[in-house]
Amino acid sequence: MAEQELELSGWRKLLASIGDQCVFFTRFLRNIFTGGFEWSEFVRQCYEIGYRSMMLVGITSFIMGAVLILQLRPSMVQFGQEGMLPKTLAVSLIREIGPVITALICAGKIASGIGAELGSMKVTEQIDAMEVSGANPVQYLVVTRILAVTFMVPLLTIIGDIIGLIGGFIALNFTDSVSYSLYFNKIVASIDYSDFLPAFVKTIFFGFAIGFVGCYKGFNSNKGTESVGVAANSAVVTASLWVFVIDALAVQITSILFYR
Amino acid sequence: MEEVKEQNKTASKPKSEVVISIKGLKKSFGKKRVLTDINLEVNRGENVVVLGKSGQGKSVTIECLVGMLVPDAGSVKVFGDEVTEMDEKQLKELRMKIGFLFQSGALFDSMTVRENLEFPLTRVLKIKDEHEIDKRVKEALEGVGLTDAIDKLPSDLSGGMRKRIGLARTLIIKPEIMLYDEPTTGLDPITSREISELILEMRKKYKTTSIIITHDMECARITSDRVVIMDEGKYVAEGTFNSLHKSNNEIARSFFKDIS
Repeated sequence: MAEQELELSGWRKLLASIGDQCVFFTRFLRNIFTGGFEWSEFVRQCYEIGYRSMMLVGITSFIMGAVLILQLRPSMVQFGQEGMLPKTLAVSLIREIGPVITALICAGKIASGIGAELGSMKVTEQIDAMEVSGANPVQYLVVTRILAVTFMVPLLTIIGDIIGLIGGFIALNFTDSVSYSLYFNKIVASIDYSDFLPAFVKTIFFGFAIGFVGCYKGFNSNKGTESVGVAANSAVVTASLWVFVIDALAVQITSILFYR
Repeated sequence: MEEVKEQNKTASKPKSEVVISIKGLKKSFGKKRVLTDINLEVNRGENVVVLGKSGQGKSVTIECLVGMLVPDAGSVKVFGDEVTEMDEKQLKELRMKIGFLFQSGALFDSMTVRENLEFPLTRVLKIKDEHEIDKRVKEALEGVGLTDAIDKLPSDLSGGMRKRIGLARTLIIKPEIMLYDEPTTGLDPITSREISELILEMRKKYKTTSIIITHDMECARITSDRVVIMDEGKYVAEGTFNSLHKSNNEIARSFFKDIS
């Protein structure tokens, strides 16, 4: 990493780091289209990243949907609007809570996993071994992981949204008796593409940010065992921060495009 | 510091082709000057051992040779071509002719031994024929005497076995130059000797030119045609193992004092 070699500090270090990330991004872009795409590694990463995160995302989303209903119900009953509960849950879950919670879980699980894996490969000279053998570590390790996360986070969000709505339905039936068809008909009637589409698009950016940060931190970690932990930790913090930044930008853009 | 050069007793041999030529190599990391003035020529088929204390920059020299590090000044020529002026494509072509055995073996720990050995064949040489791949994997494993380990994961192997597999993976692409970074570090004396003898055997079999970085005197004795001693970023003594053993050079004597 440039700033390590030059021993920079302060704003110079920040500028060097931004420059370094731009170079890394360019290497990623260039390697998507040059040479052969590593399909088998991409599929393996989709399985590792997507399938293995499904349980965690599912449980969290289920609890989130149920808790939202249980928290919202007393207020809605006070205003005599308990019939609006499915719509309120669907809109809040699909537009905001589902994507952000799923992205934060992925930032914690996937970005740290990638950061630690690539960091330990760096420490044990595996990345250097790939590079000096003439193979392309960016193509094999980085491109496949970033694309797999970009592809899987939107899918996990959709699955999480559905499970969250099921959680809400079960929680609603603790206190009220609502039929399955009435609950889901109300949800389908209350959401349109302007709820779903912007949320789906932002999850693609969430996925990219999580994958990119994880790979960048791991790939550029120092050569010491403590740097594996530093890479993993820094990947989680940075990826989580990016999720909020992207979310804030997405809300502004969506408001301009859909809700004016 | 006084520079002492021992006369190489094999100097009467006909002049061989120089495949590695390093002149005035300098490299610093921040304020730390690691290489101050490295000059070395290695002839085809020759085994040159670089001796030096830890942290003297022995590995930095060979990392400059394969373009992993960019020197601050000086010339690094391999097969007559200047490495510092090579673009990415030229570097890749050069790296296909150079094998680099890392201190740790640097096996890819998510892959089995077979997959580790297949990696350079499919990614670097782009061999598609499965028969050919299988034949070369088995041949490489037979060379290092570990055919039974073919389906094992690196975590199931001992330190010596990892080094052997690392050597097999490096030699599978039949490089013309081998760079060994402390090949016997961390091994017991018997395994160290086996690895040193294997290095000689591989030279005979693959007709490689080698630079062996070590501070293991037994390894140096077994594998070297010529030994250079490094101190404070430059080579301070050069000669055959026996000539340096008898040398009056202070640094050489400190290395050889325990050798009977």
